[in-house]
Amino acid sequence: MSEYTVVGQTVARVDAVEKVTGAAQYGADVHPAGMLYGKIVRSKQAHANILSIDTSEAEKLPGVRAIITQDDVPSGRRVFATDKVLYLGEPLAAVAATDPDIAEEAAELIKIEYEVLPVVQDVMEAIKASAPRLQSDAAKDGPNRREISAQIRKLSRDKENDHSDEISKLEAALEEYPDEVYYNISAESHSEAGDVEKGFAESDVVVEDTYVIPRVHQTYMEPHVSVASADSSGKVTVWASTQGPFAIRSGIAGTLGIPLTQINVIGTTMGGGFGGRFGVIITHVPAVLLSQKTGRPVRVQMTREEEFIDGRPAPGCVIKIKTGATNDGQILAREALAFWDSGSVSGASIGSTIRVRGVYKIPNLKVDAYGVHTNKSGTAAYRAPGAPQAIFAGESQLDEIADRIGMDPVKFRLMNMREEGDPVPAGANEPKVGYKETLEAVADAAGWWDREAGENQGWGVAVGDWTNGCGPGGVYVSVHEDGSARIFHGSMDITGTDTMISQITAEILTIPYESVTIRRGDTDSAPYSTGSGGSVVTFTMGNTAKLAAEDAHRRILELASERLNMNVDNLELKDGAVHVISADPPKSISLGELAAYSLSTTGGPIVGKGSFARQASTPALAAQIAKVEVDPDTGRTRVLKLVASQDVGYAINPMAVEGQIEGGTVQGYAWAMMEEMQYGENGNINPGFVDYRVPTSADLPTVESVIVEVPAPNGPYGAKGVGEPPITPTLATMANAVKDAIGVRITELPIKPEKVVEALKSNGH
Amino acid sequence: MAKHPVSLTVNGDEHDLLIEPRKTLLAILRDTIGLTGTKEGCSTGDCGACTVIVDGKAVTSCMVLGVTASGKEIMTIEGLASDGELHPVQQAFINTGGYQCGFCTPGFIMASKVLLDENPDRTEEEFRHALGGNICRCTGYTKILEAVLKAAEEVRTTA
Ligand code: FES
Ligand code: FES
Repeated sequence: MSEYTVVGQTVARVDAVEKVTGAAQYGADVHPAGMLYGKIVRSKQAHANILSIDTSEAEKLPGVRAIITQDDVPSGRRVFATDKVLYLGEPLAAVAATDPDIAEEAAELIKIEYEVLPVVQDVMEAIKASAPRLQSDAAKDGPNRREISAQIRKLSRDKENDHSDEISKLEAALEEYPDEVYYNISAESHSEAGDVEKGFAESDVVVEDTYVIPRVHQTYMEPHVSVASADSSGKVTVWASTQGPFAIRSGIAGTLGIPLTQINVIGTTMGGGFGGRFGVIITHVPAVLLSQKTGRPVRVQMTREEEFIDGRPAPGCVIKIKTGATNDGQILAREALAFWDSGSVSGASIGSTIRVRGVYKIPNLKVDAYGVHTNKSGTAAYRAPGAPQAIFAGESQLDEIADRIGMDPVKFRLMNMREEGDPVPAGANEPKVGYKETLEAVADAAGWWDREAGENQGWGVAVGDWTNGCGPGGVYVSVHEDGSARIFHGSMDITGTDTMISQITAEILTIPYESVTIRRGDTDSAPYSTGSGGSVVTFTMGNTAKLAAEDAHRRILELASERLNMNVDNLELKDGAVHVISADPPKSISLGELAAYSLSTTGGPIVGKGSFARQASTPALAAQIAKVEVDPDTGRTRVLKLVASQDVGYAINPMAVEGQIEGGTVQGYAWAMMEEMQYGENGNINPGFVDYRVPTSADLPTVESVIVEVPAPNGPYGAKGVGEPPITPTLATMANAVKDAIGVRITELPIKPEKVVEALKSNGH
Repeated sequence: MAKHPVSLTVNGDEHDLLIEPRKTLLAILRDTIGLTGTKEGCSTGDCGACTVIVDGKAVTSCMVLGVTASGKEIMTIEGLASDGELHPVQQAFINTGGYQCGFCTPGFIMASKVLLDENPDRTEEEFRHALGGNICRCTGYTKILEAVLKAAEEVRTTA
């Protein structure tokens, strides 16, 4: 039996009724009186010089109230393209009209003259000298050239000694790597531990492959939307569907030069985010500009097509990876070189390449990563940003090694997994983690040890890790005369975090969950809160709520001590009342009575405050096993079983935790098997659900989730963030299962039927 | 643009409206009548977020021109609970955790209601296929199916 009564229990969410009755107010449900409809005018070319923008025809259309371009951005910060566009769909102007159809018509009437430029969409093409230079002429050395050049620079700085011989030798060595100069590089990241060359030399088996992971869209079901209202005093109110209202507030302030106090961002209920809902320019800034210009509220809402051409999806990536191990199963070295398709904005996710190290003791590691500009929209976070891509490469190759040395993939992983105190390659030492427990749990639950596979069937396993972030947050909790408690804060809830905060508050105040209500404020009223991304909310707001409730708890005992004339040491809060410890006859005073009493005291009402910013968090592992059946004629893969375990530290609301595991796993499945943003000669060619298929209930069986609890020392009740880990291993889980079924390794995602048929053919089928 | 008279019954209330022929039923429900519970996820008929019930059938309202819905009986998510009592599907979505962000939920609930009205005796596999026109990006569908099966059981035992 748990020592807790509210946390650790499955409860219905605080927003349950509004979500099932259609009452919840999402961004597009906000409709202030006199509202106009905005529409963004977008480039129809993937790479072009803009020769002219002619708005005259559009202005004449009845119902059009404003048209803005970059000339209307007083701060000069780039909101719309002016002289050059870098991708299909890049914003050039925006229209506000009295009706959404009129706005769309007007947008079509704006004439843009382009001078088309050569386009490059493929990362491996973009890095070549022959590629058009998109954002700068700068070229970067590849890893080998980098090291040699650094040595040359170092030697030439030493003026005391003569290094000319050595330098000319190094310069000759540079000649060996003529192709290692990369173009269109937007960012780079490098890390190293030990000596990989030595590690490979000592290995019995060395495997080298290139993995290709496509760009995919977060595909939150609610497209981006904002409603802005600028009043005549200059105050701007923005109803924004965003994961981080405070970030949007500072983003608008920075972009448009409006003082922070003049901006109020009201976070609306949000139809999913998955990391993709932090952008400021995307709809919020155009809405504000249009409202400032017209003096009326304006809604800017993206269509699904706009989401695909101008959202901020997850970057695709090409990873060359090499691993060495001994015949008895010890991994000795791993090296990776990654090129991330950053599109028009620099470098999202590239730092995650380090995750190729996985959760294994790899003494020698070298990771080099580059972000590459292409003619695509910029990218952003998508659930554990960068991890699924890197872990797909790492975990796929791990199976290839296990296969070569004839070891069971689960045993091979268990043997190499780090434990508490082990050094993390190119990192600190491992805290207490539950890696082995989590993998063992999934193996047991899936029946791995006595697995059977019929014809064309296969089993795959993989693990993925993620460490939740944390950030600043504030919570107030008030206790009322009826014994209920009210929470006030500013953090966005997507997946049930308000419920978690309510559970923690109820637990500490020893009242029923139903006696707690919660309210989210806007940026004008609520204490600052970090954005809801990076699995931060449970860790951050859970801790914050706990501090606030503990603060209220202190005040409650203080009041009871006054009221009952007893020392606080003799008092305890239990079942919603303060009791005198071992009093006979029992003596107590209820929370409601204390709250009523507090109103006439010098100290005043019961208000607890919690404020929190940083604590070290602990890595969490997700481990998954899939059983698949591949039809060799059609290439179709059917999932027969999908089991996902995860170390969640402590499950505050188990039903919500399971929901995260199931949802994340299915997103990983989709990335592995079906999703891919495709690009033709002139930009994205599959901007809709017909051509960009996401899974439906018909594509999958039940996902079996297994909760593992290895408490995190600084998490509230030991809880870890749970949102991100489950997507990290699924890409490899699926690829490994397909390999087991067909005997051929598919290294390029998604594993579509045609690729399976192709692979089988190449294998002599 | 010229407007046409359209008469609809929505959740029992009659509406006599003047509507441009290009407006969809979804736009009429959300923008003209102000019932925003029905969601717009794609406006191309591919996600099911806009599902409402028209004369007893589940329909993606983004694919229906408002003028063609004249004279029809429409039920939206707002009209499902009666006398403050949630419909078994709504209650089941709460109890099983069948939603996360909730954006797909009105569409799923309306589609499920029609399936249960037609035949609550479907197997899980049949429900999985019958709900294949609705996209949920959050839940992975496991808990949605649990909800629908639970509601089906409830409907069977009370029928
Ligand atoms: S909005 Fe109608 S099906 Fe997507
Ligand atoms: S609950 Fe978010 S899309 Fe279904």
